[in-house]
Amino acid sequence: MPETTPNPWNDPTAKPLIQFKNVTKRFGNFTAIEDLNIDIYEKEFFALLGPSGCGKTTMMRMLAGFETPTSGTILLDGQDISPIPPNKRSVNMMFQSYALFPHLTVFDNIAFGLKRSNMPKGQIADRVQEMLRLVQIEKFANRKPEQISGGQRQRVALARALAKAPKLLLLDEPLSALDKKLRQETQFELMDIQEKTGTTFVIVTHDQEEAMTVASRVAVMDHGKLKQVDTPDRIYEAPNSAYVADFIGEVNIIEGHSTTQRDTVSIAWAKGQPEIIGTLSKPGMDGNVTFLIRPEKIVISAEKPTDRRNTFQGKVVDIAYLGNLSTYYVQMPNGQMIKAQAANSRRRSSRPFTWEDTVWLSWTDTAGIILDR
Amino acid sequence: MNFRRIFLFSIPYIWLLALFLAPFLIVLKISLSDIALAIPPYTPTLDLSGGWVAFKDFFSQLDFENFTFLASDSLYWKSYLSSVQIACISTFICLMIGFPIAYGMANAPQEWQPTLMLLVILPFWTSFLIRVYSLIGILSQDGILNQFLLWLGIIGEPLVILNTNWAVYIGIVYTYCPFMILPIYATLTKLDASLLEAAEDLGCSRTSAFWQITVPLSKSGIIAGCFLVFIPALGEFVIPSLLGGSSTLMIGKVLFEEFFANRDWPVAGAVAVILLLILIIPIVLYQRNEQKMMEAKK
Repeated sequence: MPETTPNPWNDPTAKPLIQFKNVTKRFGNFTAIEDLNIDIYEKEFFALLGPSGCGKTTMMRMLAGFETPTSGTILLDGQDISPIPPNKRSVNMMFQSYALFPHLTVFDNIAFGLKRSNMPKGQIADRVQEMLRLVQIEKFANRKPEQISGGQRQRVALARALAKAPKLLLLDEPLSALDKKLRQETQFELMDIQEKTGTTFVIVTHDQEEAMTVASRVAVMDHGKLKQVDTPDRIYEAPNSAYVADFIGEVNIIEGHSTTQRDTVSIAWAKGQPEIIGTLSKPGMDGNVTFLIRPEKIVISAEKPTDRRNTFQGKVVDIAYLGNLSTYYVQMPNGQMIKAQAANSRRRSSRPFTWEDTVWLSWTDTAGIILDR
Repeated sequence: MNFRRIFLFSIPYIWLLALFLAPFLIVLKISLSDIALAIPPYTPTLDLSGGWVAFKDFFSQLDFENFTFLASDSLYWKSYLSSVQIACISTFICLMIGFPIAYGMANAPQEWQPTLMLLVILPFWTSFLIRVYSLIGILSQDGILNQFLLWLGIIGEPLVILNTNWAVYIGIVYTYCPFMILPIYATLTKLDASLLEAAEDLGCSRTSAFWQITVPLSKSGIIAGCFLVFIPALGEFVIPSLLGGSSTLMIGKVLFEEFFANRDWPVAGAVAVILLLILIIPIVLYQRNEQKMMEAKK
């Protein structure tokens, strides 16, 4: 068996499991998906992330077979799946509502799909036991769905969807009904199970933290189009648009005019303010640009730092205390608001800065991202 | 428990006591009495002024004579049997017609559903008797149905439907179908559509998803509908006496004749008590089953 490359999406010879080729889906006048191309590889944990109505659920329902593309093709293992009905696809789905059958026990729910296949009876029981063990709900095999908790139901739904060992598992907002603590625990379990079973997972979520935690790659969608498809760290640290940067985490967006000098760029962004110095992400970026910088990359201090070139003075307007972090809203002399984050690493210390304080904001040359406008 | 709660609890019990248990006890008493040419036409009657002796005397005169009489005359048990048969078959036909209608209604576009519902209950806006009489007009030998079939050329000479059991079936099914449709429709509209998608996703065809998911989950509606049709159909009097023939045996007709034609209240009372017992058995079984399900949930 050939060793799978850790990042098959960077390997041009790797064969994708799923391919969307110029897929468009319209509902009447509404275009849910517009000319979408994407490759998803085997054993990936792929997250579709976007605001509600961005088309992510439609994509998933097309993979499951509940919707067919208006135009374009979807290939699974090189085969066009549009003519295959949902019950004949090696694709299973875990529903947002779990959709457990209320009249069947946990055991029979998990066995439901296996009974529709040609599996012999004895093997079905073994397989169900294996699934119950995998999601750790052996104790509840004979209960009905209404007799178990929400977290246990979520496990049953996962076990039921995995029982037939599908090539592809679709998860529609799988954790949205759980409370925050349980959700975080379950995220790690999901990753664990994905690794153990080696199944390709495609997860739909609007929770960016969830997508970043579980996924090997994240696709950020908006209005039926893919904005960026990349690993979580690249999406966060190297967003290709202000939309993506703003959607994932917090970001300061500063607009200005850039001039290139060798491998550095200076951006004029406000009259009477020093220019922002940054590094080039690609050559030839003279002109109007957007400068993006994450709040945690900005250092806030009372004295002007001397070890870096980007230093700006401003006034603290607002402080959001989040417990582990504090976010300072600092107003620049031209009115531009910049968010800076500082970790509250020490207990009991009184806050270093308060409202109306004059502070220095500073960052290194490589802290920000420069994008064409 | 405070007074308010006791009051709320007691309303249904008082209702049952006054409108079910008390009349039932009166009928039971009559069924244990003997026929008499008097007003009321049975004996004994309780005279409380006679004191304890009269009270004891009253009870000593009650017996099960009428029930043994019912068992000895084949007319009665044949009537019961034929009533049960007609009610069972009618209930089954109602289910076969009512379920598809309810299913169609539940799957119709949202904006149509109130209209469809209205159409189902519309017949209740006219008197039941008028509707049965118009069925006579439709089913009689020169009625609309026969004329239509003759015109189509499907039949050569008019069918005899009226005054046969066929007419009784048609009458009962027509009258009671809405009682089947409404509870089934109510359970089907509550059915979560994602369950059917899940079943399909797990390998069911549309048809097997229907049998595996839709039917079991509408069980409560089906059972309720069957009761609502079976119970009134079993004791039905108007339909068999207006549409059925002389050979149509139904216990409702027998009851009416004993009561009004023969003025034999005690035998009529016994007929009614047995009818009630026949009806109570399935209800008790159902109730026990429900209770078991409830206990299993705990």
